[in-house]
Amino acid sequence: MRECKIVSRKFDLEDAHTLKVSKANGGYRTLEKLKEYSPTDIIKIITDANLRGKGGGGAPAGPKWELMPQESEKPSFLAVNCDESEPGTFKDRQIISKDPHLLIEGILITCYAIKAKHAYIYIRGEYKQYQDILQSAIDEAYEAGLLDACDITIHRGAGAYICGEKSALLESMEGKRGHPRLKPKQKEPEWYFGNPTLVNNVETIASVPFIIQNGADAYKAYGTERSPGTLLFAMSGHIERPGVYEAEFGTSMMEYINVYGAGIKNGKKLKAVIPGGVSCGVLTAKEVENLTLDYEALRNVGSALGTGGMIVMDEDTCMVTALKNILEFYHEESCGQCTPCREGTGWVDKLVGKILDKRGTKEDIDKLLDIADTMNGKTVCVFAPAVSTVIVSFIKRFRDEFEGAL
Amino acid sequence: MSDMVEVIVDKRAYNAEKGSLLIDLLIKEKIKVPYFCYHEALGADGNCRMCMVEIEGQKRPQIACDTFIKEGMEIRSTGENIEKVRTDILELELINHPVDCPTCDQAGECSLQDFYMDYGLHDSKVTVTEKVKHDKHIDLGSNVMLDQERCVLCARCTRFTDKITHTHELGIIGRGDHARVATMPGRKLDNPYAMNVVDLCPVGALTSKDFRFSQRVWFLDTVESICHGCAKGCNIYIDHNKLKYQDDRIYRFRPRRNDAVNGFFICDEGRLSYKELQEDRQENILFNHKEIGEDEALETFQTLLETYVSDITVVIDANLFNEEIEAILEFSKEINAQVCAPLEIYRDEAFKDEMLKSANRAANAKMIENLNIDTQMPAQSGLLINFNHPAEFEADKQIDFRTHQQTQGAFILPIATYAESEGHIMNEDGMIQLCQKALFKNDPVPTVIEWLEKVRS
Repeated sequence: MRECKIVSRKFDLEDAHTLKVSKANGGYRTLEKLKEYSPTDIIKIITDANLRGKGGGGAPAGPKWELMPQESEKPSFLAVNCDESEPGTFKDRQIISKDPHLLIEGILITCYAIKAKHAYIYIRGEYKQYQDILQSAIDEAYEAGLLDACDITIHRGAGAYICGEKSALLESMEGKRGHPRLKPKQKEPEWYFGNPTLVNNVETIASVPFIIQNGADAYKAYGTERSPGTLLFAMSGHIERPGVYEAEFGTSMMEYINVYGAGIKNGKKLKAVIPGGVSCGVLTAKEVENLTLDYEALRNVGSALGTGGMIVMDEDTCMVTALKNILEFYHEESCGQCTPCREGTGWVDKLVGKILDKRGTKEDIDKLLDIADTMNGKTVCVFAPAVSTVIVSFIKRFRDEFEGAL
Repeated sequence: MSDMVEVIVDKRAYNAEKGSLLIDLLIKEKIKVPYFCYHEALGADGNCRMCMVEIEGQKRPQIACDTFIKEGMEIRSTGENIEKVRTDILELELINHPVDCPTCDQAGECSLQDFYMDYGLHDSKVTVTEKVKHDKHIDLGSNVMLDQERCVLCARCTRFTDKITHTHELGIIGRGDHARVATMPGRKLDNPYAMNVVDLCPVGALTSKDFRFSQRVWFLDTVESICHGCAKGCNIYIDHNKLKYQDDRIYRFRPRRNDAVNGFFICDEGRLSYKELQEDRQENILFNHKEIGEDEALETFQTLLETYVSDITVVIDANLFNEEIEAILEFSKEINAQVCAPLEIYRDEAFKDEMLKSANRAANAKMIENLNIDTQMPAQSGLLINFNHPAEFEADKQIDFRTHQQTQGAFILPIATYAESEGHIMNEDGMIQLCQKALFKNDPVPTVIEWLEKVRS
């Protein structure tokens, strides 16, 4: 496992969040490159690098940037998604608290490429302390004249999970309820007050300076062919040394857990891993044995890489309780816009609660699968399908535990 | 002409406008499709997920309200798959619904009930008994009552106050199954069209304080009519019922869709104007404040006509039907009388707004103008025959035909209201519309035309 620090390069430096330290260590140097490149050149490099969105979906960033109009009467905007609310995911906060200037640098390049004059950073409300660090970095950048061409405004969310969904995020930024919008029928940018807008995750934007500085090939030197580059993988749960460690795609999951995480807590045996934030299907210890951390490998085993926030569970974990914990979260966070999700999340939560209370029947387990089927693919956004995946993955892999709990 | 293309729905070919909404086609062609949130006046919101259809080539069922018509599209609105999807989603809708239909005012005209008859009727999978509790009795203001438990969160009401009235009183608060409709803190539902949310609400969440608990809707008979509140001519339904041993009564007005006039809505003042049709009615013939018989009345009428021959003025109310106005004109010619219909009194600038309300408060004023009837106040005359005109006149003697009781008047003859007879009126845009007869009273009072026939014979 080789060390690769693209985004986390300055994380360990003292006072890396200040402009002085950042600049002393190569911060903002990429801006010089903008003189060589036209906006479309930048987009081409990002497309060539096959930079994939790091907010969970893993969609290529380049094609998304290409959707932004280069000629438009309306102003273009960049919205940086820092609503990081997926349980198990806590990587973006590392960037904004340890190296906020990297994000600002990435924003400046991105805004140059998509011809935006104003970028918003949508930050989850609970991140107040990190927001303060980010804001002081932005203030420093203003003072240093770095933000002459482009304004950056932090928009603080009010604590709804769904506002991490890009269209709900924009609704929220427009001052409305954070409800996801209906999907457009053709490829088009997002819209903020009717203006073309690009929404990207913090880490995606923070990866941009490296790519522009070193070229697409330098980025592709890391990772696998289809999942190039690195990700700030994170670990939590029953692990000796939980935390965020950057690694390239294609790293062995067990190696990652054992090397960076120093193995399972108290020398216990591994039981299961939720690979990328709770919305990705749970995997058994056997399944992760030879698993690599990239989008394709995870999809092949019926889960997803998501944001790379692994939740590690040891042999003592009750999977019914674990599922209940996750479903309580979804029950609380469903935005309530469309029926299957609004009513379904409550129903499955109560059903699993019933099983935990020893009042469940065998039919309840099948019923959970049936409701999961109803919730899958019939809603405005992917919240309910994610709940569906989680339920199915838990029951399919640990059915004996559910039956044992009856 | 827009681009028309052919699509197949359930193996039958239909023509539809390219890019239009599939659900509009289904509604127009009366192909059964369940939906709560879609409304032609409010557009698609895509939240209820009931209008699922299968589209050839698409992996998953799609909502018809967010599917745009494309050439050659093949759609299935029936079949095992789609019925199951609709059943499953309906079941979710019912998890936290109180199912209090026996005491719910919407019962009988409730989409949830209707869809349950279509897609429910099975043993429920729901074994969790505790439901999410909400408030069941919230007075939103403007005669609208809210029961949050019955709500399916289709957001029609909130979209109405956002998109139609732009008053933004209503919103949805809370998330997940705790989401509910409410007014903004410290605010009431307060706009001149507020009661339309009662019609928009597909279930019993929003009910009319004026109508609730007064009638079961399946007992009501419905006729089509035109509101007489102003010259706009909004199309309405009159819901009435004649209870055993009682007289025929109107219980409510509802808006009737007419895209050329009022669209889907009516104003609250017009909606509640049904009350005036059955309050303080003039029912007896009065002569010098004493009740007299019809024969005596006709005799007096004749005597007055003979006494004041060639010094008679006839005044016409601009709310009467075209047929009545024509009959009065003919009669006036016979008795050689001056005719006028002063219109100034009907002007009410304070009533006017940008939506439906017209400053002209006479329902048939346009017809008066079209017939070139004198619209000035009459000079003093010997005998003045007033057909329900609201102004006060000067004359030696006056005969008043009245729908409603007035303090003035020595000789008063009662006439039927527009709900008690049938006829046409012309709205301010020149459109002639029919008002059907709604009420069949136990003791009907004569119409203007009937009176004139009696006078002649």
